Amino acid sequence: MQNLLALTTREVKAFWYSPMAYAVGALFLFMQGGVFTLLITVLNDPRIDPTWAKISQLFFGGTFFFWFSILIIPPLLTMRTFSEEKRTGTIETLLTAPVSDAQVVLAKFLGAWLAYLLLWVCTVVLFLILSTHTRFDWGPIITGYAGTGLLGSVLISFGILASSLTRNQVIAALLSFVAILLLFSLGLLDAFIHNPQATSLIRYLSLIEHTRDFSRGILDTRPLVFYVSLSAVCLFLTGRVIASPRWRS
Amino acid sequence: MTSPAISIRNLTKRYDLIPALSDISFEVPAGQIMGFLGPNGAGKTTTLRILTGIIAPSSGSVWIDGLDVTEHSLEVRRRIGYLPEHVALYSEMRVVEYLTYRARIKGIPRAEQSSRLKSSLEQCALTDVSRQLIGRLSKGFRQRVALADCLLAKPKILILDEPTIGLDPHQIRQTRELITTLGRTTTILLSTHILPEVEITCQRVTIIDKGTIVAVDTPEGLRQRRSGLQLVRTQWRGAPPSVIESALKQLPNVMRVTFQGQSDGICSFDIESQSGQDIRESIFHMAVKNQWTLRELSQQQASLEDIFVQLTTHE
Ligand SMILES: Nc1ncnc2c1ncn2[C@@H]1O[C@H](COP(=O)(O)OP(=O)(O)O)[C@@H](O)[C@H]1O
Ligand SMILES: [Mg+2]
Repeated sequence: MQNLLALTTREVKAFWYSPMAYAVGALFLFMQGGVFTLLITVLNDPRIDPTWAKISQLFFGGTFFFWFSILIIPPLLTMRTFSEEKRTGTIETLLTAPVSDAQVVLAKFLGAWLAYLLLWVCTVVLFLILSTHTRFDWGPIITGYAGTGLLGSVLISFGILASSLTRNQVIAALLSFVAILLLFSLGLLDAFIHNPQATSLIRYLSLIEHTRDFSRGILDTRPLVFYVSLSAVCLFLTGRVIASPRWRS
Repeated sequence: MTSPAISIRNLTKRYDLIPALSDISFEVPAGQIMGFLGPNGAGKTTTLRILTGIIAPSSGSVWIDGLDVTEHSLEVRRRIGYLPEHVALYSEMRVVEYLTYRARIKGIPRAEQSSRLKSSLEQCALTDVSRQLIGRLSKGFRQRVALADCLLAKPKILILDEPTIGLDPHQIRQTRELITTLGRTTTILLSTHILPEVEITCQRVTIIDKGTIVAVDTPEGLRQRRSGLQLVRTQWRGAPPSVIESALKQLPNVMRVTFQGQSDGICSFDIESQSGQDIRESIFHMAVKNQWTLRELSQQQASLEDIFVQLTTHE
């Protein structure tokens, strides 16, 4: 446990020291601030029916900018995790310490996920400001955050796996971006396929569908299972990748 | 008797079918400093990387403290301190911060962490730079940070891959002294391609060349092999090289004469003699008798390469 804590702390510190993390954070907050301003403008427009949309639905998944940040933030946060250690050789120093592969992978995951969560937590300020001006229901906003955090765990796991596959950060970022884009696009197939069985499968895999549910205040176990198991698979594979020199003769 | 600290049995490693190690076996008894000597590319780093569980062997097995490295990887890692050939550290961290982190991941109990940290810093003479960023340190200091990390958990076995490479002469002496001190309480496997290094620090030497073990010996034994191999370098003027060469070959105890070149009427020869025979005086008398000018007459120390030639041709 001390191991895992020490490993995770180092991961978090690595973000703290990296100029890249600040650039990513600034980009993210700028986009979310933009989204929020847009929402306020829309909701203030008297021509719009107030029952048409909830603020939580617009904020979580309702804009291009939401999906844009979902697609690019996780690759940027995870790209250096393993690839940088492979490039500089510190991965060997790490793996000759008495730590298990699982601990190493989990620490990388937790570090990047915490950074991702921290970015989203910053946007709570926007809702706090809004709450001083108007009344709204916090329930769907909280579930919206929960859904976004869970979704993040999958995307971060994709990124960690991609990063373990190469010693080049840029390739790692591109790999995870493409993987996330493919997963995201699965949900878009819904519009083109009319076979009911295929449709229900696509709905199950659709990030868009799940995010919509969460932002309506619906907490469903199916996306939970889907997200958690997909993360677990990616992290397991990452463990196999980093241990491979040890068993491949 | 207790099992040897390190035991390597019939170890073979191929990189893409090209053998780097061919069926090597040797042991390091507990408490010894064992030198692991060989020229570049001999397979030293490969052996040590297998010992520390970074890479897997193609066949054969390695045991550390009685534990099979591939089966008990974590347990083995708890018992060793490994200094890699190319030290890799997190450059954005400060020295104390890095060593504290390493102490924690090595599972050193919290109560002992600060005392272990302090003594590691002192042993490696790092106390003055402990607040500096690792990325700003010179190569010598980074090497010592990595060594301090090795010592943190007081491992029973130290595996050091060319610990003095790239250091200045002063740092080299300090490092060798530290290794000698550590060797009183720890088993050490010390890889190097520098012959005097093992003579200074080690109790036994395993010599590896082209992926095979060519000798296991004591430093004294090595020294005898060295003095047994005598090489005299000479420069001459006053006769054509072929005349001098045939005259040299007729001297008693001369084994081999190699022509080294000629310029401005001066020609050079290296002369090898039978072991234990000093032929310098008879060379001198020959020069006097023929009235040739002898410009240089010097006994050469046998180099590591000479020893390898001897080991690989005589055995
Ligand atoms: N990762 C690798 N891939 C392919 N060949 C390698 C690799 N590492 C080492 N070798 C080869 O194996 C041989 C032994 O290398 P090494 O163990 O580094 O020798 P040493 O440490 O004694 O200088 C060399 O011929 C080297 O080129
Ligand atoms: Mg080497």
